[in-house]
Amino acid sequence: MDMLTVSHVSKSFGENRVVDDLSFSVAEHTIFGFIGQNGAGKTTTMNMILGLLKAESGEIRVNGEAVRFGRTPTNAYIGYLPDVPEFYGFMTPGEYLDLCGKVTGMTRAQRERKSAELLDLVGLGGAHKRIQGFSRGMKQRLGIAQALLSDPLLLICDEPTSALDPLGRKEILDLLLHVKDRTTVVFSTHILSDVERICDEAAFLHRGRLALGGKLQELKSIRQSGGLELEFYSAAEAERFKALFPASGSLTALKLTLKQQTQEETRNVLRMLAARNIPVRRIERLEPELEDLFMEMVRE
Amino acid sequence: MKQLTAFIHKELLESLRTGKVAILLILFILLGILNPAIARLTPWLLSAISDSMSETGLSVAAIEVNALTSWAQFYKNIPIALIVFLLAFSGTLTNEYQKGTLIPMITKGMARWKIVAAKGAAIAAYWTIGYWLCYGITYGYNAYFWGNGNAPGLFFSALGFYLIGLWLVSLILTLSAIAGSGSFVMLGVGGIFLIVYLLGLLPAAGEYLPVRLLHTSNLPVGAGRISDYAAAIAVTLLWTAVNAIAAAFLFDRKKI
Repeated sequence: MDMLTVSHVSKSFGENRVVDDLSFSVAEHTIFGFIGQNGAGKTTTMNMILGLLKAESGEIRVNGEAVRFGRTPTNAYIGYLPDVPEFYGFMTPGEYLDLCGKVTGMTRAQRERKSAELLDLVGLGGAHKRIQGFSRGMKQRLGIAQALLSDPLLLICDEPTSALDPLGRKEILDLLLHVKDRTTVVFSTHILSDVERICDEAAFLHRGRLALGGKLQELKSIRQSGGLELEFYSAAEAERFKALFPASGSLTALKLTLKQQTQEETRNVLRMLAARNIPVRRIERLEPELEDLFMEMVRE
Repeated sequence: MKQLTAFIHKELLESLRTGKVAILLILFILLGILNPAIARLTPWLLSAISDSMSETGLSVAAIEVNALTSWAQFYKNIPIALIVFLLAFSGTLTNEYQKGTLIPMITKGMARWKIVAAKGAAIAAYWTIGYWLCYGITYGYNAYFWGNGNAPGLFFSALGFYLIGLWLVSLILTLSAIAGSGSFVMLGVGGIFLIVYLLGLLPAAGEYLPVRLLHTSNLPVGAGRISDYAAAIAVTLLWTAVNAIAAAFLFDRKKI
């Protein structure tokens, strides 16, 4: 079953069309990467899913129920981590989770058990000081704890890793991977390696439109083969190769690249190198990366 | 109900821990003591300076002070307390918009009207406690020094300004559901009060406007009757209720 369906949704701010006829859906228990440059419409789309912004047209469904702006009962299914989470600074993390628990209607026993468990999970178990003294990473981790508090069916994270150092990023990604069994995760990012690391499916958003979407494996197979990178011993040898393969591009005087080579084409390159007796220091097949796909898409 | 009480608890905790409660408590208690103290000290002050005054040719006659002098001080000073009070709470919603602290609450399914209701309840409670504490302290000292017995309509006269306070608090909520910044809210409250005040100068409208209640302080000196204020009280209560409902209605549709 689809946990989230966005169908033909549009939104403008003044003249500026931020989201343009966007449609996609997210199946249960997947990690869905929502990729796009800054300003592509990621946050706007998420705010519409949360009922914080009104969609001009189209429909959004969460767990089969239509999302309404303003009063939004579907938010009971959602755990949300804003991009720069801000919490009541005068409270301790435990008090804050207790407030969240009351808002979602949990009993005292549930609140106590859940908040202790989650604070341990995000590594804030021993933090009894008030939130106003927290670092960014600590706030982000508390953000994940509050988002997971009510065992949401859908966890939405807006750029959860953007502001963190590599260690903090790894912690957050591991957390998301860890909770995949109990919930469906949608997270936006512009860091493609994060998507490659944990996502099952992804959607590329460009200028408010869905430029590309689907399972990660399928996305990668769109570009079956990557290119070749060759390194020579001397510039003269590189020149000789370039004369044979005019399509090749120069990285440096010694390094050349050939774009999108099939297996047959690669064999041809090797044959030519042997036949013309051109020595090669290194030859490497480049794996297709999301980044190439993204760059290509953005350039179009 | 749980959401409402949880949010009221959050409001109380916030004003307690950010020191608002302490500051307002000191303000209201201090004013409550100051009113009779000024009345009590006035003859003494005058006699202290009368010697130097007589050298300049001014003669100061002995003046008589009583509970009414102290009550007059009360109505002179309490507007200052109200202004400080309104300033302290003018950002109650707008601060939260700017920090984004309401977003985790709303996305957890918190009913929006309960946020407004919790804030309204907490602020109204503070005003009630602070105002009547100030009144009670002044009342106690007055009774001790001079006796309040001969002044008619004391409680009712104080009720007038109390209702004006509630009305302005409700205006803060309504304007906060429209505006994005605390300064806009404060300007709006000030502007609306000024307009109503000016309208109140017109004989035809004066009787029905909340500002009419500023004059209930004349009751203890025997000017006017309680029934003269019935229309203004009804309008003020109605207007306060309309503000509260409008705040909840507008906040439901606000982009946060």
